Amino acid sequence: MASTRLNVPGLDGRCAGASRAAATLALGGADLASLAGGSPVASEFPLPAVQDLDRFENNVQELVKPEHGTTTLGFIFRDGVIIAVDSRASQGSYVSSQTVKKVIEINPYLVGTMAGGAADCAFWQRNLGMQCRMFELKNKKRITVCAASKMLANTMYSYKGMGLSMGSMIGGWDPSGPAIYYVDSDGQRTKGTIFSVGSGSLYAYGVLDQGYKWDMDVDTAVELGQRAIYHAQFRDAVSGGTCSVYHITKDGWTKIRGNNHYDMHYQYYPGGHPTAANDVI
Amino acid sequence: MSWSPYDLNGGTCIAIGGEGYCIVAASTRLSTGFSILTADKSMILPVNSKCLIASAGFDGDRSQLHKVLTFRSENYEHFHKKPMSCPAMAQMLGNTLYYKRFFPYYTFNLCAGLDDQGLGCVYTYDAIGSHERVGYSCQGSGKDLVQPVLDNQLKAPSILELPPKVAVTSLSKDEAIETVKIAFSAASERDIYTGDAVEIFVMTPEHGVQKEILPLRRD
Amino acid sequence: MSISTYNGAAIIAMSGKDCVAIGCDLRLGIQNQTLATDFKKVYKIHDRLYLGLAGLATDALTLNQRFQFKHNMYKLREERNMKPATFAHMVSKTLYEKRFGPYFVEPVIAGIDDDGTPYITGMDSLGAMETSKDFMVAGTAPNSLWGVCESFYRPNLGADDLFETISQCLLSGVDRDALSGWGAVVYVIAKDKSFVRTLKGRMD
Repeated sequence: MASTRLNVPGLDGRCAGASRAAATLALGGADLASLAGGSPVASEFPLPAVQDLDRFENNVQELVKPEHGTTTLGFIFRDGVIIAVDSRASQGSYVSSQTVKKVIEINPYLVGTMAGGAADCAFWQRNLGMQCRMFELKNKKRITVCAASKMLANTMYSYKGMGLSMGSMIGGWDPSGPAIYYVDSDGQRTKGTIFSVGSGSLYAYGVLDQGYKWDMDVDTAVELGQRAIYHAQFRDAVSGGTCSVYHITKDGWTKIRGNNHYDMHYQYYPGGHPTAANDVI
Repeated sequence: MSWSPYDLNGGTCIAIGGEGYCIVAASTRLSTGFSILTADKSMILPVNSKCLIASAGFDGDRSQLHKVLTFRSENYEHFHKKPMSCPAMAQMLGNTLYYKRFFPYYTFNLCAGLDDQGLGCVYTYDAIGSHERVGYSCQGSGKDLVQPVLDNQLKAPSILELPPKVAVTSLSKDEAIETVKIAFSAASERDIYTGDAVEIFVMTPEHGVQKEILPLRRD
Repeated sequence: MSISTYNGAAIIAMSGKDCVAIGCDLRLGIQNQTLATDFKKVYKIHDRLYLGLAGLATDALTLNQRFQFKHNMYKLREERNMKPATFAHMVSKTLYEKRFGPYFVEPVIAGIDDDGTPYITGMDSLGAMETSKDFMVAGTAPNSLWGVCESFYRPNLGADDLFETISQCLLSGVDRDALSGWGAVVYVIAKDKSFVRTLKGRMD
């Protein structure tokens, strides 16, 4: 199921696409016809008829300021997959939300994370959920994590260079065991054991790498994920809010933890953070 | 100086969801640069009996977006013989915005109404359709001024914490309206694009949508 | 990121009945990375006069040292502390001296005269003064701080109520700013009693 590229080359191509898209938009966007046909909603994005599309898109990006800044992490271990995320969205230095849901529940056994542009992640992972469901209906079995991540990566590749921003991990449990794939808007798709994505990922890696063992038990793994996010939220200005931790087993995902950073801090450091060298008063 | 398809027309809007009510309020001043174009331009669209949509940002895109949403909402009612529920409208608005991902509607939206349990639901958006359900939100030129005031007074719980809670504020309807008035008075003092008047729409299951107008500073 | 939001800061000063309060956050960062959570931005000049400096941390520290020196020299010559208004004009002059290569700071000065009259003033980085009778803010999220102060301020509050109000404003304001927060400290200065408290805030 290859995703169709937008018909971009040449001005006449763009104009035709734009008017076709405008007509489809008026009728309700990508409706049943295109969904049933298997091609994703890709073909219905109108483009502005400008000379220099790249410069225009860069300017739009400045103007529109989509929400960025995050820490997400995921790792596989003996007893499944742990996904942990923060919940802050920022526009520049303004905190636009502390309650963003950065784990996208694609279906009951497949989960995706959100880093980069919130709208891009949310939209394309919802689209992925639709494609996974179509796969199930056509093939009468669940889709593997490998195939699902490949579909998302192909979609991202078809929009390469258009300014989408998505750095996502697709995690789940399929018949070959727990798996986690990193997929981003450059078209990269990598299978791995430990990933952390976002502006706070370096802080999370420090804690993760130090505490990770393949055969740790579930509680240790959940605590490791939460602790790594906590430290990233503490140090990174644009990560924060709540830490959500999901555990994925062969029976699907469950949300194990949902703790506010405020509570976590005073639970881990009731006497104050140890790095406060000076007496403030 | 090159031409831009966008302009900043200013204005601030707030939406609050509580137990058994939802409030959507927006200033009515339309500006461009340092001039005021008009003092009574509504930013709120009562798209159907269950949902109100407020949009701040560029008025031209707001106008077009509201027409598209009205069309799609009425279309839905013809096909399904019932008005679109607020959560469904919220998802549709998100998708409508995302389909213009490469030439966005420069609007910052709030979609508010009552869900099927009678609780107020408020969805807040960025310009390209990323949305989440919250207990309250504000958008527009006075957003930075107003949001921390709402944070301090309304204290709606986060939907992300366990055990799960619904994102509505525990304040009563009258207390919430009072907070809205205080917030707009503060915003009109410090934000040049917010002023003239505020339209306050209150939606309740018993009385439907009621509208009130609060005058603000005209300078 | 601009030079004045490089380190992050939030300062509010408010006036009450014969008292003033000035509070600041405690974060020191380098752009998005948080380096310290015990970095005050409010400096004591004398018992009834405090200076808050928002903006580039290195300029704030240097200027504080210069003002401490200048005030010490004044005390030696005049054998008394500087009045708040005098100090404010001195700060303004010091900043304007660097008109074509300025210090990247925004000062907020809070103090009370000998008779208890509150004095609050704020400046931009070139020394343009604005004396206020209610409150003054400075920092990386000025709009958030203006909004809460406009909404919650009431005139003629006593020292304890003023402390409550300024604390609520500071904590709510910095929670919407990624570059400031990580705790806060508030100084309340009144004729008879002055006190300082740290605030427990969000650490993200």
